[in-house]
Order: sequence, then C-alpha cells, then structure tokens
Amino acid sequence: MKKNIRNFSIIAHIDHGKSTLADRILEKTGAVSKRDAVNQMLDSMDIERERGITIKLNTASLKYQLAKEEYLLNLIDTPGHVDFSYEVSRSLASCEGALLVVDAAQGIEAQTLANLYLALENNLVLIPVVNKIDLPNADIAKVKKELMDLVGFEDSEIILTSAKTGEGVEELLEAIVKRIPAPAGEETDILQALVFDSVFDSYRGVIISVRIVNGTLSVGDKIMMMATKQSYEVVELFKNTPSEEKVSSLIAGEVGFIVASIKDIDAVKVGDTITLTNQLATKPLPGYQPMKSMVFCGLYPIESVKFELLREALGKLKLNDASLSFEPETSEALGFGFRCGFLGLLHMEIIKERITREFGIELITTAPSVIYKVILTSGEELLIDAPNKFPNKETMKEVLEPYIRTNILAPTEYIGPIMELCQERRGIYFDIEYINQLRVNIHYDLPLSEIVYDFFDKLKSSTKGYASFDYDLIGYQPSELVKMNILLNGEVIDALSVIVHKDFAYNRGKAIVNNLKEVIPRQLFEVPIQAAIGNHIIARSTVKALRKDVLAKCYGGDITRKRKLLEKQKEGKKKMKQIGKVQLPQEAFMSILSEGE
Amino acid sequence: MSSSLYVHIPYCKSICTYCDFCKMLYQESQVYAYLDALEKELKKVYRNEPLKTIYIGGGTPSCLSIDELTRLFEILETVQKKDNIEYTIECNFDTIDKDKLDLFKRVGINRISFGIETIHKNLELFLGRNNNKNHIKKMIQYAKSIGIVNINVDLMYALKDETLNDLETDIDFILSLDVPHISTYSLMIEKNTCLYIQKEIPIDSDMDALMYEAICKKLKKCGYLHYEISNFAKPGYESKHNINYWQNLSYYGIGLGAASYYDGKRMTNTRSITKYLKKDGILTCEHLSKMDTMIYEVILRLRLATGINLEEFYEKYNVSIDEVFSYQSLIEKNLLKLNGKYLIIPEEKFYISNYIIEEFIYGEE
Repeated sequence: MKKNIRNFSIIAHIDHGKSTLADRILEKTGAVSKRDAVNQMLDSMDIERERGITIKLNTASLKYQLAKEEYLLNLIDTPGHVDFSYEVSRSLASCEGALLVVDAAQGIEAQTLANLYLALENNLVLIPVVNKIDLPNADIAKVKKELMDLVGFEDSEIILTSAKTGEGVEELLEAIVKRIPAPAGEETDILQALVFDSVFDSYRGVIISVRIVNGTLSVGDKIMMMATKQSYEVVELFKNTPSEEKVSSLIAGEVGFIVASIKDIDAVKVGDTITLTNQLATKPLPGYQPMKSMVFCGLYPIESVKFELLREALGKLKLNDASLSFEPETSEALGFGFRCGFLGLLHMEIIKERITREFGIELITTAPSVIYKVILTSGEELLIDAPNKFPNKETMKEVLEPYIRTNILAPTEYIGPIMELCQERRGIYFDIEYINQLRVNIHYDLPLSEIVYDFFDKLKSSTKGYASFDYDLIGYQPSELVKMNILLNGEVIDALSVIVHKDFAYNRGKAIVNNLKEVIPRQLFEVPIQAAIGNHIIARSTVKALRKDVLAKCYGGDITRKRKLLEKQKEGKKKMKQIGKVQLPQEAFMSILSEGE
Repeated sequence: MSSSLYVHIPYCKSICTYCDFCKMLYQESQVYAYLDALEKELKKVYRNEPLKTIYIGGGTPSCLSIDELTRLFEILETVQKKDNIEYTIECNFDTIDKDKLDLFKRVGINRISFGIETIHKNLELFLGRNNNKNHIKKMIQYAKSIGIVNINVDLMYALKDETLNDLETDIDFILSLDVPHISTYSLMIEKNTCLYIQKEIPIDSDMDALMYEAICKKLKKCGYLHYEISNFAKPGYESKHNINYWQNLSYYGIGLGAASYYDGKRMTNTRSITKYLKKDGILTCEHLSKMDTMIYEVILRLRLATGINLEEFYEKYNVSIDEVFSYQSLIEKNLLKLNGKYLIIPEEKFYISNYIIEEFIYGEE
C-alpha cells in the first residue's frame, strides 16, 4: 500500500548522533534486536565504523505500527561531510522528507546548513530534531532558537530526542508517519525507477539501489537502462530490513535493490532511469548533476609492478563513485601512476585508504592540486591539474585559479582568529552574517588551492574546535601564480613541484624546505634541499648525514630482538620511494602543502 | 654441544629508570624457591659438556645474601668446568662488600662485571641509581687484592642534559680504576621502563655520535682494544662469554626470561615468576633454518672488530658468503672492508652498523 510508505533521510553534522539515532530507530521498529546490534548498523564499511562517519549511503526498510496501521519506513542514510554532498543529493532525491538532527550542545553547523538547503531545493518536508538532550551541557532553548531563527521552524514542530537513552524516538517515529507525505506516483503507470547507488558483488554482479518513482517492477521483468540502452532480466529483488529480505516486486514509492546478472560495471550509471523493455517510458527522470572533481593528485604504487592492479582497483571504486576520475600519468621521480580527481580532501583520503586496505596496494600520493586555467599568448586556453604540467612563464598570458566562498559558522569570540587565518590564505573579505548575538557566519572568498590541505585543521585549532566550515565554488579569478620547483641533492623532483602565489612564494619555499628537512630520514650523506623559481633559489635547508643507527647493546637475550628490529626497519624502508640516491617517505609529498609552525 | 652457560638472577635492591631487563625487587621469601627452580632447570637442560664460560647476570646477582649466594654456587658446583673457565658475576656497588667478594674468590669466580654508569649525582638521579665513589674504589681494590683482576665496568652516556664534559669526567674516573674491560652504552629509552612512561626522549643523535667518538678515541689512547661495538678491553681480557654470543655459538640460558641457543633453536624462558616457579618453562622457541642461522651469523659477527671470517663461514655452511648475500656496493661505499679473509665494518662506521647490516642481509633495492 503506497499510502503507508514513508521515504526519509537524516541530515546531521558529523558527531551529532545520526548513526546512533538510526540505530535506535532500527531498534524501536524491531528491525534489529538490542542483542544483535553493533554500533552504527548502517555503516557497513570498516572504515566507516572506525572513523565514525558515513561515506556510502545505505538504506533500510522498516515496519512500524501506528493506530493499527502498518507503515513501511524507508530510511535512506546520507553522508555528513561536505565532500560527499553529491551522495547526499542522491539520497535526498529519493525521499519525501528528512530529519534535520542538531546536537543540543553544539547547535547548527555549516555542513548541516548546506545539506538543509539541498533538502529544501528537493522540496522535502523537514522534521527538526534536537538530539543529545541527555548531555549535561545541552542548551535546548538556544538550539531551538537557532532552528527557529535560521530555518523558520515553529517551536511546536521541534522534537527533542536522546538517541543514547531512546527518549523522544517514539514521538519522532509518529511525526515521520504524520508529517512526511506518502510518495506520489502510480503503481499502474509505466515503470520509472531512479538508480541512486550501485555496488559490485563478485557473485551476483552489479547490485542496483533504486527508488521506484512510477509503476511496478517484478522478478522476471526485462529492464532497460535508459542512458546506456542496456537491457537485463531481473533475477532478484530485495529490501534491506536491514538484513536482506527477498521480495517478488517493488511498487511506486518503494526503495529496494535489483540483481540482474549485470557483469559490465559501466552499464549502470547512478542517476539513470530504469524502465521496462516492453513498455518504454517516454523520458527519463531528471537524475543528478554529476559532481566535478575538485582536487587532483597523483597516486603511484610504491611497487611499480602493481600499476595494473591499481588501475583495476580504481575501476572498481569508480563503479559506485562517479565523482572519482583517473587517467594514467608518468613522473620522472615516481614512475607510472594515475592522476586522480576527487571531490575534496576527505574523499581523497578515503579512496587512498580503501585502495591500500581492500586491494593491498601501498601508495605514494603527491600533494593535491586544483585545476588552474592558463591562457597562452597564442590565445589557447589550457586546464592544468598538476604543477609539472604548468607551461613556461614566457608562453603564458594569464593564469586563473578557482575561488570558493566560505560559510564558517563560529561563536563571535573567534571572529578575529578566523579572519586572520583567511587573510593568511589570501582571502578576500566578503561579509559576516549574524545568526544571533553569539554566532556568526563568516564569508570569505578564498582560492580553493589554499583550503585543500590543512585549512580545516588550522581553523579547528584556532577556534578550539568550535568553528564549522563549508564552501561554494564561485568561479575562476586571475592570479599571479608561479611554479616552484624543489631540488634534492641538486636535482629537480617533479612530483614535489608546487604552484604558489608570487607574493607568498618566499614564505612557502621556506616552509617547504623546513618541512622536508623534518620528514626526510637521514641518509648516509648530507642531502641539500632547495626551493627554486626558475633558476633562482629562494630557500634552502639540509638533511644531515646519518650518524647513529646502532643497537649498542646485544647479548644473549637481545639477539632475536635485534633481528626483529632490523626487519622492522626494512619494512619501514619498503614504504619509501627511492628517488635518485634519496629515500623519500610518503609524508614528504604531502608536507609541501603544510604551512609548518 | 654448548660450552657456555648464562644464569639469570632477576632480583634487584632498587629498579633503575632505564632498565628493561627481566627484573623485580628483591624478595627474601622467594629467593630459595627461585634457586630450587633454577637447579631443576639446570638438571633438565644441561648435558654435562665441560663449560668454558659461566655468566651470572641479572637483575643484580650481588643483592642476594651470603647464604643465598652460597646456595647458588652449590647448584653451579655440579657443572663440568674447563681448567681455564671464565666465571663471571654481575655486581652493583650498593650490594657488594668484602665478604661477598671473598665468597666469590672461594668458589672460583674469576671475573666481575660492575655497573657504574655515571658518577654525576644529577645523572645518577635520572637513572635511579646511587653510588659512592670511595666505596667503588675500595671494592675494586679489594677484588684485585684477592686475585680477581679481570674486572669490567659499565659506562652509560647520552643521558638527559649530559655534556661532553660530564662524559669526560666519567671516563677519567673509570680509567683511574685501572680495570682491563669497559662496556659503554648509549641510553636507549625502552618500552615498559620508567623513563618511557615519563615520556623522556633520547638526546640529539649527533651529540650521541660525538660522545661515542670521544669514548672510542680516549679508550684507544689508553691501550684498550675496541673489539666490539660497545666493548673495550686490554689485550687478552676480551669477554669470552660475550664473544661466544657474537660468534653465533650455542649456549644454555637458565632462569627467568633467560635466552638459550642450541640444537638449532633460539629459545626464551617465560618472564612470569609464578609460571617459572611452577616450571612452566619456555615462552618462545624459534627453529632456525640454515638461512636464519646465516643471517644471525652476519648480524652478530659484524659487531666484532674481527668481523666475518670468510673461510670459517664456508666451512660452517658449505657455501660461500658471496652466493648468499650481495654486499659489493657496501664495499664500494666504504661501509664494509675486506681485510684478508675477514669481512669487517670499519670502526668509524660501527655507529651506523644497523644500516649496514640491514643492507647486507636484505639487499639494497
């Protein structure tokens, strides 16, 4: 019964209790017994549970009884981090409503706000929830007021919960049924199903997550992917409750999974519409705007023989992550690898970690870069995604770099340090919005390249963790950028080159050579480090020669230990890349972006 | 066939801040039970070979009472000793007196290893130790007077805030004692030690290396041979027991946490006293392949100034070392030297021997 279906997702900032609240909802609806519950039921990747974040969205179909009626609640989980707003928009497009969960002690954060706007664009019904009301430092009145001032909710709409104790969860479930509308769409219409996710299973092929918008889909139906024109026979349909529950059909309004013996991972595009071959829909559903990669870096296997394996790994990850892009590149220093594009830094970190963990490939990552636009004297326009592709100064007429506008939500007392940080990062002041007397939203225009590395860490530390951060791209602006080369032992190392603003080059050069001095282990000989613009050396430092590497004491009991120590040392060296005569650890490639102390 | 025996006495009067050996505070009520267990273990493992070295280490063996020591020596009386046996006991000055030295002499001990480490009060405090210079001098003199002339003293350096001057005075004091053997160790901060828990960090490695150079220079000038990375001796006084380790030869080890090497196995006893007293013996046992044994041979022999004897290596393993390891580039870089039939790490490269040995064993790329 379509009128008894509710599709909703949860919008919340990291740590505001989204996954715990989801756990509690699963428990209350009897989907999992308390005994079987592992924390963060919906986060099935190890990396999600370890980091306490949600990366890939997941869905659960839950049965709930209210006033003798049985309802089917489809909870569609969403990632909370700004890098994954693409995933958020995917899940929001398959819902009619969303819970807006805010921590009773923290208040609304920048990323929550960004996702909230996404939800409003999708015309979702929002249910404001103040969570963690059991905390001793909860300030319910203040957070309620923020919700009313900032989003325009009524006091009476706001639901108070403690996901930890379970308080208010019953009331919340009722509100989901009463306030969120049943999905539109007719079971008898021509089938239109929105693909919002897919994963590859080595036994069953591609598994597609769909929201049936119109019509009915049954096992045995012949389906067609409208974008790729590929057709398949449905072998299996299931819902996640949150364990798999096989069904014979899915009807308009429902959310579920399709197995159709699909071996070709390129046949399924997230955002595509599925219809029936014998009854084609006239046009596809709106779908999504695929997100463009914002940050680029080189990924190189430490063992060069693993290059093909890395290609395979990237291919598999790209399957349900359209925002990941990659193409082969070669570095004089690092050999064969891939230039990869990511949504942001966290996205990059996650992909890197998954490649190492799930595919067993140790990687060297070059420092992330953004896409620069270069206009040559000939009038030709180039897009540059790596410093070593930067053309010669003589051939360039103009260089442009991408800018963002920040939303930095913070208590008023941190306005000073935040502005200072933004100025240091070549920021241009835009304005400050007062949310209330205590909190502001600070807008600065910043070059994207200035936030790709440790901006967020620096922001956190200069505001004792109280600031939250989000941004919108606002386009390209001309900039006086130059390429800075780094020389080790007198040789330019292409993978260490960076693009910097002319006025900041001297300080950056100094910071880079000092950072490198700290992270490059001592070698048998002294290693001079230089930063140069063209032929002009602007900073230098030296890694002193190795003078002590010995186990002074070695008697009867120490002998096996000594061997283990040598083995461990060797393992450490395996994670380094030999460039010329110098051994470079992974940190060296990232350290060139860090500002240092 | 093993001809060396190590005996571990885990008890100490007080615990030094840097010590990660198997040790515990002296407990009078437990010592005899421990010695009984030691006796049983000896009977179980020892196969009546005549021994050329016995080494009683710790812990602090000298913290036992005269009666307890007497019982220990009774146990060790049962083993076969070669005529020229080297029979060593470790001592600390705060638990040694003339009576104990007389007892040592009576039972045939002919070598004593004393811990001094430093004579600077502030540095002693940092190490959790306390010595009296006059007492040190008196005891060493007395040992010599009763005929125990083969004496080692330990020196530690690279201590927190230590200067080259501090080190100089420590060396001078030790030289004034006129002992034929000196061991020197740069401080290592090991897990499960007081210093580690206090989050102490090692001094700058350049300073550490400078101190090592200063020690080598001074001791060589005074007629000591630098025969192993951390050990110096007047000719003829090199420690036979320790050379046995570094030549990768077999040995028995009995007592809490003690290590043994014989029958192609490297074994370590449990470090739990309750288990040991219940004779719940060996904790780890590593069966060595021929390759393992050759790796240990390299790791250990390269610690010695005499290095690896290539002919002996061939005789022992029936294969030329060149076929097993590739070390040509180390020779090119002057990190190894071929001295006739000996392959050695030059003295000035001793202090980066880990780097060299690792390249030797695991190759360059």
